[in-house]
Amino acid sequence: MLFKDQIDFVLQHIKKNKLRVFMTVLAATMGCAFLIVLASIGFGLQASMEEEILSNQSVTKIEVMGGDAQFTAEEVAEIESVENVQTVLKTTTMDAEAKSFFEDRETISGVRLTNFTDYASIAKPLAEGTYPKNENEIVVGYHFGQTLLNEADRKLIEEKSKAAEAEGTYYNGEEEGYKSSLIGKEIELAISSHDNPDKLSERMTYTIVGVMPRPGYQWVIENRIYMMDEQRTALENSFKQVMVDDSASDFQLFNERYDIYAKSLEYVKPILEDLRGKGYGVYSVTEQLDELNIFFLVLKVGLIFVGTIAVLIASIGIFNTMTMAVTERTREIGVLKAIGASPKLIQRLFLMESTFIGVIGTVLAIAISYLVSFASNLLLPIVLEAATGEANFSNIQFSAIPWQLVVIAATISIGVAMISGLRPARKATKIEVMQALRQEL
Amino acid sequence: MMIKVNNLQHTFSIGKKGKEKTVPVLRDVSFDVKRGEIVAIVGKSGSGKSTLLQILAGFMKPEHGSIVVNAQEIASLNEAGSAKFRLDNYGFIFQNFQLMPSLTAFENIELPLKLKGMKISERRTRVEMIMKKVGLTEVADHYPNELSGGQQQRVSIARALVTNAPILLADEPTGSLDSETEQDILMLIQQLNRELDLTFIIITHDEEVAMIADKRFRMHDGKLVKDGDHRVI
Ligand SMILES: Nc1ncnc2c1ncn2[C@@H]1O[C@H](COP(=O)(O)OP(=O)(O)OP(=O)(O)O)[C@@H](O)[C@H]1O
Ligand SMILES: [Mg+2]
Repeated sequence: MLFKDQIDFVLQHIKKNKLRVFMTVLAATMGCAFLIVLASIGFGLQASMEEEILSNQSVTKIEVMGGDAQFTAEEVAEIESVENVQTVLKTTTMDAEAKSFFEDRETISGVRLTNFTDYASIAKPLAEGTYPKNENEIVVGYHFGQTLLNEADRKLIEEKSKAAEAEGTYYNGEEEGYKSSLIGKEIELAISSHDNPDKLSERMTYTIVGVMPRPGYQWVIENRIYMMDEQRTALENSFKQVMVDDSASDFQLFNERYDIYAKSLEYVKPILEDLRGKGYGVYSVTEQLDELNIFFLVLKVGLIFVGTIAVLIASIGIFNTMTMAVTERTREIGVLKAIGASPKLIQRLFLMESTFIGVIGTVLAIAISYLVSFASNLLLPIVLEAATGEANFSNIQFSAIPWQLVVIAATISIGVAMISGLRPARKATKIEVMQALRQEL
Repeated sequence: MMIKVNNLQHTFSIGKKGKEKTVPVLRDVSFDVKRGEIVAIVGKSGSGKSTLLQILAGFMKPEHGSIVVNAQEIASLNEAGSAKFRLDNYGFIFQNFQLMPSLTAFENIELPLKLKGMKISERRTRVEMIMKKVGLTEVADHYPNELSGGQQQRVSIARALVTNAPILLADEPTGSLDSETEQDILMLIQQLNRELDLTFIIITHDEEVAMIADKRFRMHDGKLVKDGDHRVI
């Protein structure tokens, strides 16, 4: 029998029992959609968590245990000589405040010192401008301009904050500040200690040449000032002017941290192993991800397992429908066998029918699942925000359906549909011709 | 010799499990059929005629004995082999026609060709030709329940003929028809036998039907006895 004729044969039978087949397809659809939607929660939450972890960190970064561990120049050289290490980046943080003055505006920010050649090799591109080439050139954080406020701005922010507070929300001041480009602008900078913020050092003049990219977390306000390592002495001298006595003898103005960067993600693991072998305490965010992935793998397998139970329940419907179909058509099967249809063909025709139910059910289920997933990602944050009064849900993905999930679910439900059609199909092949032909119309 | 049946033997066991009774239905049945012959097997109800036909057709296996058709032993074929053999060699005509109620006359006749995997264009010409031969052109699109008994039996005969099978097995082909329609069908069988050189084995308890046969056998208590050659024209 030609394949096309087999399809026609199956479709004709399905048409004859539209309602029954429809109900069975419906059950299969519900089972499969339940499986996909349930498992999509695992996939969605995993994606959200991963994004949360990776959004503010470079995946190629290898952190050094203790953070502020000091490396000697030899150690840095040793680490840099490890294969596929891009750079060992030293970042120095100043433990004092820097007050910037520009036109009638001012702001307070932290200061970091770094080697911009190293930094440029691993960092995301600047939002604007270039890295410093001269000693009095600096780069500022993405929100530096926004935090440069004058009297009028401060008043406005106060008003808006009050209004927001009355509504139970929070205003971050994004509408105020200096809105034009800061590139090429000169600012004056004075240092003050945390203990006595009012006492300012003599002002130093710097030129802004670059603006850092927007930070990964949307809610972070980043207005740091980034200078060359060479500015360390200048800053130290300024700080001496404002230092409060010699209160704490163990006070250190500068804290250094070293971060190791791999050339790309796949080298992180070997570098970690190598460095640990050499006795360095190092770790990477990707290891956290590994643990997270194992956790989510178990979760997803569990959810798929529970979802499969729904598919199995639906398969009872398919089994019943197919058994009925075979019983109903006993005489027709008898005639087919009498005129020479092989048992194999008869089995195939019935298997095709149950497979058809499985395939249609799965296709519908996939479409419905995407709709449900889309709707829940859209509506759940709104519902949760209304219920809890917090506004932290909008960047959480509750449900995600990657193609792998579609493949897994389709395999399970079509497979189960075929298996549940197997016994009825076998039964059809076992029908005895004469017994069947004796049945009257 | 087209068909050669030797020492066929078959026993049914009936009744509840544990207290079955065995009923011998065929006892040492042997006969030959030549190409182009019409053979009638007559006998009282319950004498075992249908059982013989079913075994000939391969619907069930005989307990003992051999059936050789066109030099091929078919009593030992497995189910798939037996189905394939039927499709290529046999056409069936049943007392109650056994048409598919959901298929039109045309589609019913087409069915064996579909099983053979014939292409649609070829099927069409072939079915149309056969329908013309048995006089059904007018009712091609009718469903079985829209046809008279005689027309239904013509559809069933057309379905048996359509694959060019050389042997036609008929169990009470006129059993559900009135005597006038019966005459039509018998004439058709004779005509097909003459024109296409088809071999017929017809089971009947109706002596009228047996009259068209070249050769008659009588079934009695599971034994087959030759009735002498005679043909009525
Ligand atoms: N499947 C079966 N199981 C048990 N006994 C059977 C079976 N089929 C037929 N028989 C018995 O075999 C005997 C012969 O039956 P068969 O149908 O061959 O008779 P027949 O000659 O065709 O009769 P009729 O002219 O009424 O059709 C009967 O006694 C019947 O009861
Ligand atoms: Mg009978």
